[in-house]
Amino acid sequence: MHYLARRTAVAAVTLLTVATLIFLLLHLVPGDPAEVLLSSGGMAPSHESVQALRLELGLDRPLGAQYASYLGRILQGNLGTSFQDHASISAEIAQRLPRTLELILASTALSLLVGVPAGLLAALRRGGFWDGLFASLASLGLSMPAFVTGTLLILLFSQTLKLVPAGGYVGFWESPGQHLIYLLMPAVSIAVGLIPVVFRMVRTSVLEFLEREWVRTARAKGLGERRVLTLHVLRNALSPVVTVIGLHLGTLLGGTVLVEYVFNWPGLSGMLVQAVEQRDYPAVQGIVLVICILFVLINLGVDVIYGLLDPRVRTR
Amino acid sequence: MAKHVTQNLALAFLAGIVLLAILAPVLPLPDPIAMDVMNRHGSPSFAHLLGADEFGRDTLSRIAFGARASLAVAFIAAVLAGVAGVALGLVGGYFGGWPEILAMRPLDVILSFPPMLLALLTVALIGPGTETLTVLLAVLFVPTYARVAFGETLSVRHHEYVEAARALGHTAPRILFRTILSNVAGPILVQFSLVVAACILLESGLSFLGLGVTPPESSWGLMIRGARPYMYQAPMQLLWPCLALVLTVYSVNRVCDMLRDRFDPKAAVLWFPAPRKTARAASPAAVPAMGKMLDVRGLVTEIATPRGVIRALDGVSFSVRPGETVALVGESGSGKSMTGLSIMQLLPRRVGRIAGGEILYAREGAERSGASAAAAVDLARIPAARMRAHRGQEIGMVFQEPMACLNPVYTVGFQLTEALRAHGRMTKAEARARAEEELRRVGIPDPARRLNDYPHQLSGGMRQRVAIAIALCGRPRLLIADEPTTALDVTVQAQILVLLDDIRKMQGIGLVFITHNLGVVAEIADRVVVMYCGQVVEDGPVEDIFYRPLHPYTRGLIASVPQDGGSADKSRQLFSIPGTVPNPLDLPPGCRFAPRCPEAIAACTKAPPAMEAAGAGHQVRCIRWREI
Repeated sequence: MHYLARRTAVAAVTLLTVATLIFLLLHLVPGDPAEVLLSSGGMAPSHESVQALRLELGLDRPLGAQYASYLGRILQGNLGTSFQDHASISAEIAQRLPRTLELILASTALSLLVGVPAGLLAALRRGGFWDGLFASLASLGLSMPAFVTGTLLILLFSQTLKLVPAGGYVGFWESPGQHLIYLLMPAVSIAVGLIPVVFRMVRTSVLEFLEREWVRTARAKGLGERRVLTLHVLRNALSPVVTVIGLHLGTLLGGTVLVEYVFNWPGLSGMLVQAVEQRDYPAVQGIVLVICILFVLINLGVDVIYGLLDPRVRTR
Repeated sequence: MAKHVTQNLALAFLAGIVLLAILAPVLPLPDPIAMDVMNRHGSPSFAHLLGADEFGRDTLSRIAFGARASLAVAFIAAVLAGVAGVALGLVGGYFGGWPEILAMRPLDVILSFPPMLLALLTVALIGPGTETLTVLLAVLFVPTYARVAFGETLSVRHHEYVEAARALGHTAPRILFRTILSNVAGPILVQFSLVVAACILLESGLSFLGLGVTPPESSWGLMIRGARPYMYQAPMQLLWPCLALVLTVYSVNRVCDMLRDRFDPKAAVLWFPAPRKTARAASPAAVPAMGKMLDVRGLVTEIATPRGVIRALDGVSFSVRPGETVALVGESGSGKSMTGLSIMQLLPRRVGRIAGGEILYAREGAERSGASAAAAVDLARIPAARMRAHRGQEIGMVFQEPMACLNPVYTVGFQLTEALRAHGRMTKAEARARAEEELRRVGIPDPARRLNDYPHQLSGGMRQRVAIAIALCGRPRLLIADEPTTALDVTVQAQILVLLDDIRKMQGIGLVFITHNLGVVAEIADRVVVMYCGQVVEDGPVEDIFYRPLHPYTRGLIASVPQDGGSADKSRQLFSIPGTVPNPLDLPPGCRFAPRCPEAIAACTKAPPAMEAAGAGHQVRCIRWREI
């Protein structure tokens, strides 16, 4: 319990820092914030529009008051309204967030499904054919940005072979099968970059744990090889893997931004890219904040899983 | 081999791309931004080697200038981030305290953002552009360097050469930038190549979204963005920039692996090939001698090290009778632990292997009648599956580190019942009851509660008792204890010794006790086998070894034991054997102990001495044992 409480406290502090930084960023950029937001391509905005924006965003008030009302607002879940259509940003995010989460979950699951067995096999046959093959594929996968993978998948499977649609989205409840087909390529695109990470970590940590003394003890007890590998090697080797996935989450979330764009997946990231293109700052701020919260919460989740995997962490 | 080929290819490709990027303005390439609407998606020709893009611009030229943009952004950002990050990390790691907090804490804030999002947030604020992108990437990667530099600095801060520089009165900046920086340069260089790769990926991603490098400038990400809508008509226009991007990142990663191998030689390990399915041919007389339960003959064990194969055991022979305690004694590296692991077939996988000799073991009762072939096995040759049936039930083993030999994520009860159920069918409840009984047998108070404890909740002595319970729960007839008391306090050591001796007496099991502590040997052993450099140098009854040691090494070992607690006779200097154990890759040609031996003569270095019988059950490997 102590461990969890401390992790939660750290997460809360991180969240506050992130929220503060997002707030401050607008004021840290040299120049008047309203002017910065409105200027584009060296064109100075008109005085009236700058004044109007100042009023709209409350930029005329003192910084402290702005910060207080900003924090109050986000605590109530109100992320403001979009520059574009004055729609509620929170509502839009609430609608899109689950789709992004689904994509992240699907690609992580896929990566574990492929990366863990491949890493185990490579470790057991180190220096052998499979080890060499997987290692080469892993270096290649690490060199493939998700948007390149996605684009090439579309070129191959949609344009040339015409097997799957090039992108789009159908709600799960409307048509589960079609939904999963749409999910497949985006999830694979992200997984291509994540599988090597999982694979390498599993391989390294299995190799390391194979020579641990408790594995020797387990063998000396007369346990079967399968039991030794799964219960005494793999089980322990998974803790570092969980940590690594947590660390790579940042990259993973970056990957989803590009992949959602490539496949027209109507998640948070598509909204984000659009908002950035249109320089809809309140929307960008809101989405980045939500994704950062997600980032911190998933990392907290990773810590919890870590605690479940390793009893030493729990009681420390 | 294949690894070196691909690494050289990667280096060559990288060199080519870098040259292309640097020389792009002076090479005879068409203008990368000159549009030619008539030549939209033009196919390759002499004028346009790779064809033309959707605006009729020359693709090869755009790739070259794209490389210029991508590499310049990545390289400059990586250098800027490196300078700032390394400086912060050095200062934080060297001084600690407030400087550490000031240098390192703010960086955690950057790390709490996914990099792509921080980039997008900034672009939303101040708009896209190459300069913005470079500065942004630099800021994003400062923490990466800082953490590496910080960690490395912490670890070298108290090394002798840093202390020496401090003692010489060098100033902190001089120590930091001359002494420490040169020593942490390796990992930082590795980090640099990683950051370059990451920067190229982020740059291309942002440019692909139209938020990085701005048109009409060229960038691989922009080219992919431009070619995407036309991928069906002109797939090559899409594939060329993809290929350039992927190959470049791949090459940088390979170079990074190369650097890592160079700076971290641990990564390069030599392995034996996977063991063959067919066992080595058995020798005809594969039966232990009369009255022996374990008869090791001429055992040779090889270990693969990065610098070559060493013979960790070179013709080791000894035997154990039922109910007898045999102590294997020697310095670290003498091969005593390797002997134990060889008997159990527990040598590190594909790092150690038995290359010769026999480990003959007689099953229950067979040693009395003079073992027949059916009741005896050669443990050096039986397949892994059959060996498993012997582990725990015929031979048990206890290891040195009670801290490390229990799996930290399972309870004591889990690990004990697991062993019990491997030896015989029983229900969970039965196994639990048995486990409780086994713990009580090794003197653990309140065993029912201890079953639910994790290893880290127990003391070292308790853990070793648990390890002994696990080793004995299958009722083995032979127990191999590899320095079971070394990691324990002196009082606990004594308790564990008494426990092992009691168990041996009560159950009549054979005990192979591996130790470097002669005091322990005197208390517990019936016979002593002294090992040196992978060979047995003397083997005899405990009284003979202590009162009539024949080998100069044995004498040295006995003389180096503190007498009467070591303090009674202050005038008597504590003896230690001069010299050090020879390098196993470069053993002396004759007697292996000759270079350290006070009695050595010229003949000792000529030929390796053989084991000679020197009395009842007493053997020695020394040509001069009669004279000295």
